[in-house]
Amino acid sequence: MKLQTRTTLNYIVVSTFIYVIVAVSFYVAVQYVIYEEVDRRLLVEKGDFEHFVDRSGYWESDSYFVEDKIRVHATSISSPVEFKDTLLLGRYASQFVPFRQISFDKEISGKNYRVSIRKSLIEFNYLLSVITIVMLVVLCAGFSLLYVFQRRTSKRLWQPFYEALAKATDFNVHHGDKLVLPKQKIDEFNDLNAALNKMTEKILSDYQNLREFTENASHEIQTPLAAISTRVEGLIQDPSISAKHIQWIQDIHESAMRLSRLNHALLILTKIDNGQFQDADLVDLNRVVRKHVDEMEELIAFKEINLRVEESESFTARVNHSLADMLVSNLLKNAVKHNLPSGGSIEIAISSTSLRFVNPGAPLTVPPRKLFERFQKQDKSTGSLGLGLAIVKKICEISDLDLDYEYSNGLHSISVTKSSS
Amino acid sequence: MKVLVVEDERILAEGITDHLVKEGFVCEVVHTYAAAAQKIGLYKYDCIIVDINLPDGIGFDLIDALKRARSTAGIIVISARDAVEDKIRSLDLGSDDYLTKPFHLSELNARIRSIMRRRNYGGTNEIIFEEIKVNYATRTVFVNEEEVFLTKKEYDLLMYFIANKEIALTKASVAEHLWGDNVDTADSFDILYSHIKNLRKKLTEKGARDYIQTIYGIGYKFAKK
Repeated sequence: MKLQTRTTLNYIVVSTFIYVIVAVSFYVAVQYVIYEEVDRRLLVEKGDFEHFVDRSGYWESDSYFVEDKIRVHATSISSPVEFKDTLLLGRYASQFVPFRQISFDKEISGKNYRVSIRKSLIEFNYLLSVITIVMLVVLCAGFSLLYVFQRRTSKRLWQPFYEALAKATDFNVHHGDKLVLPKQKIDEFNDLNAALNKMTEKILSDYQNLREFTENASHEIQTPLAAISTRVEGLIQDPSISAKHIQWIQDIHESAMRLSRLNHALLILTKIDNGQFQDADLVDLNRVVRKHVDEMEELIAFKEINLRVEESESFTARVNHSLADMLVSNLLKNAVKHNLPSGGSIEIAISSTSLRFVNPGAPLTVPPRKLFERFQKQDKSTGSLGLGLAIVKKICEISDLDLDYEYSNGLHSISVTKSSS
Repeated sequence: MKVLVVEDERILAEGITDHLVKEGFVCEVVHTYAAAAQKIGLYKYDCIIVDINLPDGIGFDLIDALKRARSTAGIIVISARDAVEDKIRSLDLGSDDYLTKPFHLSELNARIRSIMRRRNYGGTNEIIFEEIKVNYATRTVFVNEEEVFLTKKEYDLLMYFIANKEIALTKASVAEHLWGDNVDTADSFDILYSHIKNLRKKLTEKGARDYIQTIYGIGYKFAKK
């Protein structure tokens, strides 16, 4: 939920609540005042009535012309003075009209009478409803105005926050652009911006340091390896070295080369992780496949692997060029390496959204879900580094491609598919 | 033929120099950018081998300086950095080749010879090794003036051998020369073996002596005796 929506909602709930309370209490207060007034007048009329009766000693209903306002009837039971609301049929209009009535006992000519004086409430009710409606309308307008004002000011007030949020969301450590958030008038936002500026600056410098460290470490490793390799090549030229020692020297050389390849592969993984292969282009994967098939053709033919490339459609994906090369090359090498010792085959199927490598081979010795992890080797004795598929996986991850593995009927199938999202 | 080696790692520089001297080059070695810049300004070299990362400068600037001085020297960049951008940059600046460390000395030697051939060093298109003659302009091979028809790989193999004659070559270096990075399968040694067998057969059939020696545990050597 948006901050704005949340505040608005809160505002509406609270203002409705206040609105109802104010309306009810206002209504009750006005009504109370009106009753007070009516009752007071009734008391005055009671006094007038008593005065009249005391002076004249009789009562005639006719003396009041306008309305059936005073009713007098004889009764033997004496009751206290009582106010009450009542509905009476109007004299001309045949509908009930609200009245306020005061009832009291009065002795007229030695006989006890119960006297009720009534006063129509109709004009007071009208007054009450007019006051209530006006009050409701004014209150409603007030609240609405306040709401609009609140919304506007909060929008303006939170503007720097939304700006900072948008910039922070856009921030990409790989682009290396610092987050530059301007100074704000409001202290909190100013602090927030300053904190964000400082934080991203730190992230950038840490990232840069890490990047440089990884690359430098990797290059520093390559140089002594080159020195080892050079010396080994020098040594094997020496005819006085025994065959056994030559073998040892060869082993040293092979290990050095392996270390170098390992270092190289790990560097690539780190570079991908660090997002140093950001510039992606639309790459025609069919062409990349053809290129690598051409390069590997000799090896494939030599191993008597039957290669079939089925290009039903063209598959273009947004990938970095070097990574696309690595992806296809690693998958192809993988298919060659883990093929049958004789009578092997590779089928490469390309559709507009997928690239699939299918080859027969022994079942996996590692669990399939671990296949794409680093240093997972099918055969521990081979010179394989166990990083090829980990690199493939990484490339897919950053290029919006899905990577799947299946094994059925003795066939390994690895497919690269465009992510549906 | 004069070669300048610019490399700060002393063991590596020494190894390269030793090897090139054995190959018949006149070699000079410097370990810093400043020394290299001075040498380049003073002397003329046929080939310059430059490391990119030098303690007091960057190798790219040396290439730039050479090109601005209109030097005709061949330039081979040797670098621990295997980034495509670095390769492109050094080739754009006008270097002739790029080798990623670690590399085989025999490969470096073959690359220098290839550059020298491209510059027509010595004013001929031919290399002669005993009764074998290679015309590298037309990529044709003759034994006793009779043409031998070689496949591309066999031709590359022969050129590599001739460039590195009298040198013990590891199988890995030969295989890497022929197939580049795709060599990390043990199978390539078997293919190499079959190529060598074919090359040997084609050459000896035309009456050449068998110069390809197999050195147990190491690889091969192309030598007269």
